[in-house]
Amino acid sequence: MTVIRIGAAPEPFEARGLYFDGDTAVGDLARVTVDETARRIEISRKGAPPLHWPLDALRLLPDQAGGDLVVLRLRHDPVARLILDDALLLERLPDVRRPAPLVRRGRLIGWALAALASVALIVFVLVPRMADQMADYIPPAGERALGAATLDQIRSALDETGMGEPVAFCTAPEGQAALDALQARLAPGLPEGQEISVHVLDHEMINAFVLPGGYVVFFRGLLQAAETPEEVAAVFAHEIGHVVSRDPTRHALRSAGSIGVLGLLFGDFAGGALVLFLTERLIEASYSREAEAAADHFARQLMLDTGLDPAGLGSFFARLQQVFGEEEGFLAHFTSHPALSDRILAAEADLPPGFTPRPALTESQWQALQTICN
Amino acid sequence: MPETSAWEKASPETGGLQPVPAPVAAETETWPPAGSHAGAPPPERLATAFTGKRRAVFWLALKTGGLTVLTLGLYRFWMKTRLRRWYWSATRPGGTPLEYVGDPYEKLLGFLIAVVILAFYIGVVNLVLMFVSFSLFQQNYLAYGLSLLGVVPLWFYARYRARRYVLGRTRWRGVRFGMDPGAWGYVWRALLHWTITLVSLGLLWPRMTFWLEKYRTDRTWFGDARLTQGGRWTMLYRATWPIFAALVLAGAGLALSELAGRSEGYTVIALAWLLAGYGYVFYRVETTRILANHKSAAGLTLTARPSALRILMITVLGYLATALVLALPLGLLGFGVALVQFAQTDLMQEFGELGALVSALPQPLLLALGVALYFAIFLLWATFTHAWVTLPTWRHYATTLTIHNPAALSKVSQRARDEFQEAEGFAEALDLGASI
Repeated sequence: MTVIRIGAAPEPFEARGLYFDGDTAVGDLARVTVDETARRIEISRKGAPPLHWPLDALRLLPDQAGGDLVVLRLRHDPVARLILDDALLLERLPDVRRPAPLVRRGRLIGWALAALASVALIVFVLVPRMADQMADYIPPAGERALGAATLDQIRSALDETGMGEPVAFCTAPEGQAALDALQARLAPGLPEGQEISVHVLDHEMINAFVLPGGYVVFFRGLLQAAETPEEVAAVFAHEIGHVVSRDPTRHALRSAGSIGVLGLLFGDFAGGALVLFLTERLIEASYSREAEAAADHFARQLMLDTGLDPAGLGSFFARLQQVFGEEEGFLAHFTSHPALSDRILAAEADLPPGFTPRPALTESQWQALQTICN
Repeated sequence: MPETSAWEKASPETGGLQPVPAPVAAETETWPPAGSHAGAPPPERLATAFTGKRRAVFWLALKTGGLTVLTLGLYRFWMKTRLRRWYWSATRPGGTPLEYVGDPYEKLLGFLIAVVILAFYIGVVNLVLMFVSFSLFQQNYLAYGLSLLGVVPLWFYARYRARRYVLGRTRWRGVRFGMDPGAWGYVWRALLHWTITLVSLGLLWPRMTFWLEKYRTDRTWFGDARLTQGGRWTMLYRATWPIFAALVLAGAGLALSELAGRSEGYTVIALAWLLAGYGYVFYRVETTRILANHKSAAGLTLTARPSALRILMITVLGYLATALVLALPLGLLGFGVALVQFAQTDLMQEFGELGALVSALPQPLLLALGVALYFAIFLLWATFTHAWVTLPTWRHYATTLTIHNPAALSKVSQRARDEFQEAEGFAEALDLGASI
């Protein structure tokens, strides 16, 4: 091999090193020289033939502490080590910082895909299926306990003072009476024996949600953003639709199953963020298209049956859409399908003949409901 | 060794390729270290040096931790590997560094395997437990309890496997350490010993410490030399005296406050708590020391002299210093949260231009800032504790360790590689790898 050199030839290199052959625990004192012509180093030891390591096959162990020692290895040899206390040699080793993998990584991609696929299978197929089954079998008392526990969690997580104080319920007596009146008005929509508990949370979010066991929860923000009691009634009726179909029970069971798996994947360093994520998911519960459509359909029918103007939901949407746009939480929940508000607005024209709506609440009741948090 | 670069001093006349005479003999005393190579008569014992500097580990932890945050945790396998390489190479028994050859990819693979198994457990088993618990008892504590109980065996399993992995990827003088498989044997022994310890109200705690360590040590190898844990379990009672002293003190305090009605009793009880804290650290350090002094392999023995007080001071002062340093960003975070809340009220508008400016800041931006600060605090906590707790602790244990009879090293030869592709996946997934 001919080496064409440009400029001055490098200085001869020699160092004392410690050589471990990777077989015994006692090292050899080694004299290390560089043979630039043959592009290799020579490791001479007492009582053993010299070893020759090609310059471009030498690799430096990374992330070594102290900075005083240089530990070198041969690319294809997993065990033999040459330790020098002189970093000058490194200048002559072109590939010394390139990686030299010890482990065959070929199988890794296959395993990674298999792992992700099975986690996805567990989170998106197995857990939802089981949750759906269980939701049908869980006894009412158990369902209510599940809802109560979840409500406590949500109230604590919504706290913004950082003290972990749960967000308060609003219970001004007149407002409560108005809420009860609205509930009584919509009660015919509930099946025999189904109880519901209605709460107002003192929080400015414009939203409402349902939890297992018939917990219907409004935020103060929603009551204040509504312009007529019919709008609140429409939201109420929609949520009752979810209660009847037991969507929240399925949803809560699914979340309980999948949230731990997600925590496992991301490690504990995102622990705090995960709790928030869980809360978010429960509140912004966007059920399936079918479930939302069914709840809408249920709400419209219930409003018609109880003499309420079903235009309420449509008008509320239209206004909120103007104010907040499509992406706000409220709309994400109620209109997981964009055509929804159009359809409800269209339903106005579709009223049965002879339908005359009666007001949902009196003017004073409506005032009391809107100020239930004062 | 030449002072200036070889290239600077190079001249065409030297030709550059002829070997020059060996360097002066004075250097042999420092490099290579005595006892590391054949020929010279080996010394009677090898002291352990630790060469790592705080500044170096701080930057390494900060850099790799930052990448971990940016990659949503994926880089943590690389972070762990790189930090271990660093700590191992800083630890030098007899002047020759340990080497860590673990691979981040195998850690990732092991983690994925563990995730599949645990995902099934957490997803399906927990769901069933929750259903049963709510259906039959209308509460979820039973589910939490049972679910936690189910993880306990897995916890011991993961610990044994993690130790086996780390030993299998550790080398000294080119020779591999290793550990025999035996995680399930460890699990049932650990469960049994824990039961005995709990039933005996902690009186038989030293017995558990000894037998579990003996189980692990007797399966540990350095090359083809098997380690043996000698001694008896009763020798560990020496390490319990501060805890017993704390109990006596607490009893005296209770008697003083409850029976005699004297308020000094509470001071005595507070002192007993402090002593108990020290007692716990003392027990951990002393048992490690006593057990190390009774380990041997192929004629090699150890002397460990760690000081419990020193370890306690390192831990307390290290965390205290970290907390003080982080108080500033934490304060900023709190202020930021308050500001965001305040900005949403109408009051803010009254604060003139600045108020209007803050309230006009887009919500997502503020949120992103908050999240970034939150992760920054996590990151800084881990980084500072590396520099102020992990490194000093490690250094103390290393520099107080002596290896006797290094001549026996000539009898040690290599062992085969433990492939062990699952690595420490379970420990990682269950988050046991607290220290490093």
